[in-house]
Amino acid sequence: MPLPTMTHSSAFLLPAAAPPSNDAAATTYALIVLNQRLPRFAPLVWARARLRVCADGGANRVFDGMPELLPGEDPAEVRTRYKPDVIKGDMDSIRPEVKEYYSSLGTNIVDESHDQDTTDLHKCVSFITSNLFVPDKSNLCIIVLGALGGRFDHEMGNINVLYRFSNTKIILLSDDCSIFLLPKTHSHEIHIEKSVEGPHCGLIPIGGPSTSTTTTGLRWNLDNTSMSYGGLISTSNIVDGDKVTVTSDSDLIWTISLRH
Amino acid sequence: MFQMTNDEDKKSTRNRYIPEIIEGDMDSIRPEVKLFYSSQGSKISDKSHNQETTDLHKCISRLHRYTPDHEKPNLCVLVTGALGGRFDHEAANINVLYLFSEMRIILLSDDCLIRLLPKTHRHELYIESSVEGPHCGLFPVGAPSTSTTTTGLKWNLSESKMRFGSMISTSNIVQSEKVTVQSDADLLWTISLRNLA
Repeated sequence: MPLPTMTHSSAFLLPAAAPPSNDAAATTYALIVLNQRLPRFAPLVWARARLRVCADGGANRVFDGMPELLPGEDPAEVRTRYKPDVIKGDMDSIRPEVKEYYSSLGTNIVDESHDQDTTDLHKCVSFITSNLFVPDKSNLCIIVLGALGGRFDHEMGNINVLYRFSNTKIILLSDDCSIFLLPKTHSHEIHIEKSVEGPHCGLIPIGGPSTSTTTTGLRWNLDNTSMSYGGLISTSNIVDGDKVTVTSDSDLIWTISLRH
Repeated sequence: MFQMTNDEDKKSTRNRYIPEIIEGDMDSIRPEVKLFYSSQGSKISDKSHNQETTDLHKCISRLHRYTPDHEKPNLCVLVTGALGGRFDHEAANINVLYLFSEMRIILLSDDCLIRLLPKTHRHELYIESSVEGPHCGLFPVGAPSTSTTTTGLKWNLSESKMRFGSMISTSNIVQSEKVTVQSDADLLWTISLRNLA
């Protein structure tokens, strides 16, 4: 029996002037900002999101970073405009004056310092899936900034959140690339927005080996190919068209470069 | 290197840091940089014909080939620039640790280091607490672990299972000068580096 299809689109990265594709119109975006320097397109994805959550020190990054990314504008005005809806986490990184500022603007501050078992990203994803009402869960897409780079254990913990919430679309973005999980339960169609992403891409079997993966739309397609750490993994591949398909017997991480 | 030292004289700093070998497909190195190092005696090893392997793989291959077997256990390869940036590059660089698991290779960034702990051995990690720690982690990248045991950590594992999608050890803390790890799976070890400013 064939697997159900999951489609993926990065239309949210297109500039505001571009007409939204059918997919972009139907998808509800939520944004999570973690504690690392904001990527240059942070204002763009902020505008797309219906709900914006900062994880602890992510609030510092929004406070400091948004005015820096919009240098032609009045910093105070930028700060009121880019106000998170929620700040969640154990509150050990957020600066007191930043917490005070957003609190006075009405941001919901949720202190989770009692819960040391889960990472900040995990808490934020849980919060969004429990609190953001979306008629069809498959139309929710959570965009995360600041999950890659920095301390490697944080990066691994963040990637693990993709595996733990495999039924939720979560995309980790950096200045250089985007990554998301392709669960083995589905056959995947990835729509490529050539003006903002590619051509470099890869498929990474982080959690465990794949005995059979098949793709279309890549320069070096896989054809019932095995992949594993210690063996072959697909990196420095190239997207050849505007649609990539992937079917695998194992969960895979898909990554694509972002254009500068 | 000039940006990192206090040397007034750019030239003298550059002359102190001459690579023995420059290896790879040569599509990124600036022509004047290649000329400069070549004139200073660096060997330029152009591997642009070989598109199958990453630049790191080529460099490690070379070290592997030219190090006698009996010297391999005493050789430790330090790598800068392998982490961060494009995720597929980072993933491929980590795979090099698995492909050359009999070699000691450490990937370094400003924030942390990572190394592979092959399942074939029990590991003793000596912690230099003046320069590293306390944050650390263990990750079953590539395959799950059904049994991992550690000592020396704040949250030790005791024949614990680890798997992406379930439990992995992140934001752990080193609590001793020596950490031991034994596992039925290859694990990536990471420890944070202290700000050495």
